[in-house]
Amino acid sequence: MWNRTIQLTALLTLCALTGSATAGNGKIVIKCGRVITQAGPDIENGVIVIEEGRIVSIGKDVKTAWDAEVLDHPELVAFPGFVEAHSIRGMDRPNENIEIAPFLDVRDSIDPINFYFEDVLRQGITTINVQQGPMCVIGGQGRVVKPVGLTVDEMTVRSSIGLKIVAGARPGRSRATQAQALRKAFGDLQMYLEKLVQDKKDGKDYARREALFQGRDMDKDENKTGREMEGVAPWKVADFKIVPRGEVDDKQEPLLRLVEGKLMAFVYCDSGVAVNNALAMARAHGFLANTVLVLDGDAWKAADAIAEAGVPVVLGPAQMYVERDPITGKEIETFVPRVFFDKKIRFALQSLNSTAQSLWFQAAQCIGQGIDRKAALDAVTRTPAEILRLGKRVGALEAGKDGNVVLFNGDPISVKSTVQYVVIEGNLVYDRSKDSRARQLLQGIEQANAAPEAVEEAVDPHSGKKAAEEKKSGSEKKD
Amino acid sequence: MHMLVGCLASALLAPALPVSISPSTTTEKHAEAVPSETIFIRAEHVILRPGQVIDDAQVIVRGGKILAVGAGLSLPAGATEISGKYVCAGFIDPWGALGISPDELSDSSPTPATRSADGVDIYGFDHLRRDTLRAGVTTARVQVGTGSRIGGLGTLLRLTPTANTADVILSRECNLWMTVGLTSGSQPLFDSQGQFMGMGGRAADPFERVETVDRLVSTLQAGQNYLVQKNEYKHELEAWKKAIAEKETELEKDAKKAKKDREKAEKEATEKGKKFEEKKYKEDKKPNPPRYDDDNEVVARVANGEIPLIVHANRVSEIRALLQGLESLGRLRLILAGGAEATYFAKQLAERRIPVIVWPAPLGRARADEFEANDLSLAARLKQAGVQVLLGSGGMDPAASRDLPLMAGLAVGAGLDREAAFEALTIGAARALDMQDRIGTVEAGKDADLLVLDGEPLVSTTRIRNVIAGGRVVVTPEN
Repeated sequence: MWNRTIQLTALLTLCALTGSATAGNGKIVIKCGRVITQAGPDIENGVIVIEEGRIVSIGKDVKTAWDAEVLDHPELVAFPGFVEAHSIRGMDRPNENIEIAPFLDVRDSIDPINFYFEDVLRQGITTINVQQGPMCVIGGQGRVVKPVGLTVDEMTVRSSIGLKIVAGARPGRSRATQAQALRKAFGDLQMYLEKLVQDKKDGKDYARREALFQGRDMDKDENKTGREMEGVAPWKVADFKIVPRGEVDDKQEPLLRLVEGKLMAFVYCDSGVAVNNALAMARAHGFLANTVLVLDGDAWKAADAIAEAGVPVVLGPAQMYVERDPITGKEIETFVPRVFFDKKIRFALQSLNSTAQSLWFQAAQCIGQGIDRKAALDAVTRTPAEILRLGKRVGALEAGKDGNVVLFNGDPISVKSTVQYVVIEGNLVYDRSKDSRARQLLQGIEQANAAPEAVEEAVDPHSGKKAAEEKKSGSEKKD
Repeated sequence: MHMLVGCLASALLAPALPVSISPSTTTEKHAEAVPSETIFIRAEHVILRPGQVIDDAQVIVRGGKILAVGAGLSLPAGATEISGKYVCAGFIDPWGALGISPDELSDSSPTPATRSADGVDIYGFDHLRRDTLRAGVTTARVQVGTGSRIGGLGTLLRLTPTANTADVILSRECNLWMTVGLTSGSQPLFDSQGQFMGMGGRAADPFERVETVDRLVSTLQAGQNYLVQKNEYKHELEAWKKAIAEKETELEKDAKKAKKDREKAEKEATEKGKKFEEKKYKEDKKPNPPRYDDDNEVVARVANGEIPLIVHANRVSEIRALLQGLESLGRLRLILAGGAEATYFAKQLAERRIPVIVWPAPLGRARADEFEANDLSLAARLKQAGVQVLLGSGGMDPAASRDLPLMAGLAVGAGLDREAAFEALTIGAARALDMQDRIGTVEAGKDADLLVLDGEPLVSTTRIRNVIAGGRVVVTPEN
């Protein structure tokens, strides 16, 4: 009797769990018309099996578990979630009033219920590198998050990925003062560490003299040590081993980790001059290999220097740079991603906002300007994933990677397509048919109160014009 | 072709560069791209330096330097041949603005440690640099924050249009710049196209002006005090180290006795039932170094005469206050810029060997405080009174360096000796900026900044046929 009751309860519980869309048994099977894997050829009528957050198999004919939730949509196209290589949104405010603050962490600033995270889901972005804004000299530590979760820890994909550093001019200041401020910050670090070592040595010497004077032996437990300074910086603090690691000030520690090659640097450059200053700084302090340049303005003019340094770049959302010939007055246009594509520099694209100029649009623009489709798609998936050292987890659909899948009702970078479903780490986190806010944006408030048939019309994949209008109107509302 | 070779050379040389770092200076990348070209110039007259001419002579240029000068030199194999009537050194603009973007010029935030070299826009101004080279000006000293009280360290640029910083920047620490006479908000103004429109701000009243001078003088004195403190600390530290070393040998000598004393004292204490108390050890405290300050580091060097100080001052009250205030700083090397009313102090300026950079501009382009500065005879009057006169283009308009030879011609028209004007534009400026070992004359071993002319220099009918900057032919009659 007892046995049967238990069995029944178990069965009921199971039914209850499979009934809910998100909190399933961790197994989800996605069947769709086409899978753009970004890791090889596209798969027609492909199947993606995700278990415990990871893709376990992907292909045409793959075994699926009998108890998995199934998303069966032969009319849809599966695509790996877009990866945002750099964003200053999603925080309660992007900038601090402290010039040099490497001890801060965006963890304390990210707002999980910020609308931004809801918006990026609609655009199919599943991984975001959140960094502090550019109104600083050295900003806090950023982190990579997914746009779902009720707490920052739940959202986090990778914490303390790197520091925001600004080589460009802040308003009302010049690049020269900015460069000097950076030089001073690293000079201060070096002097601080040297003083730390010296004080430690002096303390030990004093203790020895005191012991001699008092006629006793030295305490043995004084010999706690750290390790030598690591990294490839041209400068090293000698005898750093004498300092136990816990004794480095929290305010200086993140910069030391940067110099030791344990943190990345996202260096904002608003001009070619700033790029040169940034590269000189990265070389002088040994973090060139961990540097990512976040570019803006005419920074593309330093493309040769960037190619020589071999660092990847995140391009600003204003893809077309327009300047005037000083003699003829004629406008000269430069399509910035093309410059980097031609010079074979790794580049990732960046959203201006989460809607009208989101990553799909940036990639589409690149194709329109003659960059091949693969490179353009890579710039919003694989390349940012590699830049963020997450190449093994996101950016493509293949076995072993995170189960981040976006289902479009057409080509992912077509202006006619919209995101229908988003699956992040095996959880269905976005379903357009249940997206009431999108419906309102699409139809306006009056129509939102109208009959529900109108909704069906809007998501119709054949009404391309409507979908395009929707993206446009979305941006207007957003800005 | 040699561009390519240059790039290759720089790529090969870069890793081999010795890298040194101190808190105040960051290493600067990239080797200079040494031109491999050999140039052979035949001239009827070679002006070696002002007043020293050799006839029917030749100049050989190789690797960016002047290899040989003299009569009867033979054509080296593979050399590019150039011939002309006159050969002289390229002109130097000791007070220019070319190569620094408007934002940097009008920056009001520099401190003494700010380096103009960090703000040099090597990706812009190509057309202006070309025009300026055509006019015979091969180098210019430029400055960020020309309108602010302290403009930071000036930099000397070679005006070759290239993207290699090392080819462009001849000196990173040319001078410290200060300006008095205008209200603190005074900055050069530019339109949206970057065209210079004039100087903003109003003339300060006499009290403000004298106060400004006072403040600058005390900044310099603070720098000198900093130097004194640093030296004192060095001596104190040495004395302390010596005392401690002596103490240590003494302690070691008495170590056995100290141990015995301790045992005895411990025994006594236990016998008497008292608590054993250790002897208190005392020694001299280690002296503390003065707090490191990157600004004071620079000001100290200026006060010590290692870097010249250029002060922009025009009026009697300011010049008087300045000359009085700086009298106590015996090693300081002052250069006056502007000097509209400097003739009143001609005797003192001549005695103290303070050069004056005059801007011989025609009427209508003046700053609010200049008054008689536009008198084209200022240079002549100062020269006649025995003051060393230099000529500059005013340091506000990037396009003005191009007109410097023309302005020098105007000064000649207003009474300045032509040879004095020529000296001002060549070796005079080089000497004032500590660059006499590299530029300013036609001598073997110096940088090859040369003009090939079809007549005497600084004559309005003379045409400049060739300009060689840093060993490269940058202007030919054809281009």
